[in-house]
Amino acid sequence: MLRRLVQVGVRELSRSQSTAAATEKWDLYAGVLVERLPVISKSLNPLEKQFQDMLWRVEYENSLKSNHELKHEREIVQAELIKQGKMQVDLEDSGAKQTAQDLKDAYIEELKKFQLADRTTPDDKANKTSSTDRCLEDTLYLLVQQKLGPQEHLILPQGKREEGESMRQTAERVLHEQCGQELQVLFYGNAPVGFHKYKYPSNQRTQSVGAKVFFYRASLRSGQVAEKVAKFEWLPKEALNGKLTNAAYSESVNKFLL
Amino acid sequence: MSLLAAFARLGLQRSGGVTGAVAARCLHISPVLCAEPLKKKKKLDPQIVKQREDRKKKKIEKQIRRLEKNARQLKPVEELEVPLDLIDDKDKRQRKLNPLGSAELEERALLKKQWAHYKHDERVADFQIIDRLVQAQNKALAELRRESEELYQAAIEVDLQLLPVAVKGPVATPPIKNYASPDGDYLHQSMKWEVK
Repeated sequence: MLRRLVQVGVRELSRSQSTAAATEKWDLYAGVLVERLPVISKSLNPLEKQFQDMLWRVEYENSLKSNHELKHEREIVQAELIKQGKMQVDLEDSGAKQTAQDLKDAYIEELKKFQLADRTTPDDKANKTSSTDRCLEDTLYLLVQQKLGPQEHLILPQGKREEGESMRQTAERVLHEQCGQELQVLFYGNAPVGFHKYKYPSNQRTQSVGAKVFFYRASLRSGQVAEKVAKFEWLPKEALNGKLTNAAYSESVNKFLL
Repeated sequence: MSLLAAFARLGLQRSGGVTGAVAARCLHISPVLCAEPLKKKKKLDPQIVKQREDRKKKKIEKQIRRLEKNARQLKPVEELEVPLDLIDDKDKRQRKLNPLGSAELEERALLKKQWAHYKHDERVADFQIIDRLVQAQNKALAELRRESEELYQAAIEVDLQLLPVAVKGPVATPPIKNYASPDGDYLHQSMKWEVK
């Protein structure tokens, strides 16, 4: 409700403002930042580890003994008594009975048998940048090889807006065109998260001066970029900055990276 | 005279034996009833009826009064109550550990302070990231508006597809591929409650 009121207010306010400029014509582009969210939690740094150990110690100190521990203690006392000959050994009972220690050993054995999945994957070792099954702790971003002017660049997937489209629709279409139909993503809202503009070389500024790129954020749900459609890489933030050759573009993109 | 003759014949037939009985069996005079007549309703004394109703009413009123009196008293949740046997052998369950030395206490206090600083810095960094993101988005929206008011309005529309949000958090170890979970025993532990 409030949002709608604000929107109406904004609309009326804007009518007087907009279309004042626009003497130069710019091409509108939509770019998509596709991110593969972290699959596993971050490894703890030394301080975090230390603090966690302390919390666990405090937890142990404040805890009360469990039934299992009590049983174990009772059995130790009993064994001691039997050794000293103060108590009769119950022959029928002792053979079949499982002591607390036996149970504990069995539990530990069972736990040892279970193999947890590794936090690093084969793709990590092979450094296969086209795979999303690597760098599980970090967010991965998608870069696609694209032709801008005469040269190929490794940038976020982007494409020109067509008449009658909203920017969000452009972003969705562009992603489909560049990455194939298999890639399933979730767009975060209708609003762009970032912006970058660049001018065309002076000999190509016949119709428009340059391009304004509006970036949308989307998270990967399933699927993968079609191999034959484009050359692509999934990179964590640091590697991404290494790959973006254009300093201005890199700066614009970094503004909306987490 | 003829009437007399007819009666005489009737008398003859009745004493006629077999043939007469057969004729009587095929003769139906009243319709077949597959039900019995209704029992006569016992007529109660209206005073007794009234007395009974009054008694019922009184009983309900009494229940209501009792409920109202106990309205503030909440029904205990059995699962939240500590079992008595645990309270009884609390002493037995206490761990007898050596008290911490002053060095250990000092170390823990220092670690807590260090932790507080660390979390504070982390939080500040988070706020800075949020600021940066909001700034980037505002700039993008402002630029979009300079280009076209229509596109701007489309961009600030609420995206209802995002609701309801479902988030799967990061886990400690990645899921094992093609893992067949073993069948366990199903123990239904929640208690059954009956209305008394």
